[in-house]
Amino acid sequence: MFHAKIIDSKVEKIIINNAQKFISSSKFGASIFFIGTVRDFNENKKVTGITYDSHDALVTKSFEEIYYEADQKLNIKDKAVFIEHIKGYVGLGETSIIIAVGCKHRDQTYILSRYIIEEIKKRSPIWKKEHYFNDESKWLKGSPILNEKN
Amino acid sequence: MKIKLELFGESRDFSHQDYLEFNINNHLTIEEFRNLILEFLDKNFKNNKNYKKIVNSSAFCSENNTLITDNYKITKEQTIGIIPPIGGG
Repeated sequence: MFHAKIIDSKVEKIIINNAQKFISSSKFGASIFFIGTVRDFNENKKVTGITYDSHDALVTKSFEEIYYEADQKLNIKDKAVFIEHIKGYVGLGETSIIIAVGCKHRDQTYILSRYIIEEIKKRSPIWKKEHYFNDESKWLKGSPILNEKN
Repeated sequence: MKIKLELFGESRDFSHQDYLEFNINNHLTIEEFRNLILEFLDKNFKNNKNYKKIVNSSAFCSENNTLITDNYKITKEQTIGIIPPIGGG
């Protein structure tokens, strides 16, 4: 079971309850929720918020690839995965990403959840522009995207 | 023919719009298209080294949402996405 979506912050928010409902099943004995939020300080600067930019089609495609890869690479067949990532402006403390994972056993949920977030960082075309108290803003330095075939 | 370059991330600073447009006469590889973008930046941003660095470290994406290599040949009017270094999540 898999759900992935880019959430436009102008229109809606990431709702944890939606993730909980999606992965809820008596088949799974363990579930984990990874939630990324905007923090108030980065590189000695007071942050007021972050604008996320996204190539929506490529991001959704990368989420799907990461999910299906888990079958081969991690050998976790029975699973429910719910991924949503924000796009647009997000204020302090607000949610930018949720990865909810349900599996049969707890060790599988830890492994799968960690695998998904680390692969997203390497492969999903998402960018952050940080906003600061002095009205300045800056795109954060990233890493060149990894092609899924690399 | 007209090639539309969709801007993402840091490259959005190249224009007030979400894209740049290039008129080209011949078929181009992505490598040649990258050089065309660098020429545009030279002309419009007085040799801004940071902008050029962004282009040199970017990947490109075809209009069917596939990452393309420097050898990919642009043979018709289309939209190409520039994918600067990423850092989301």
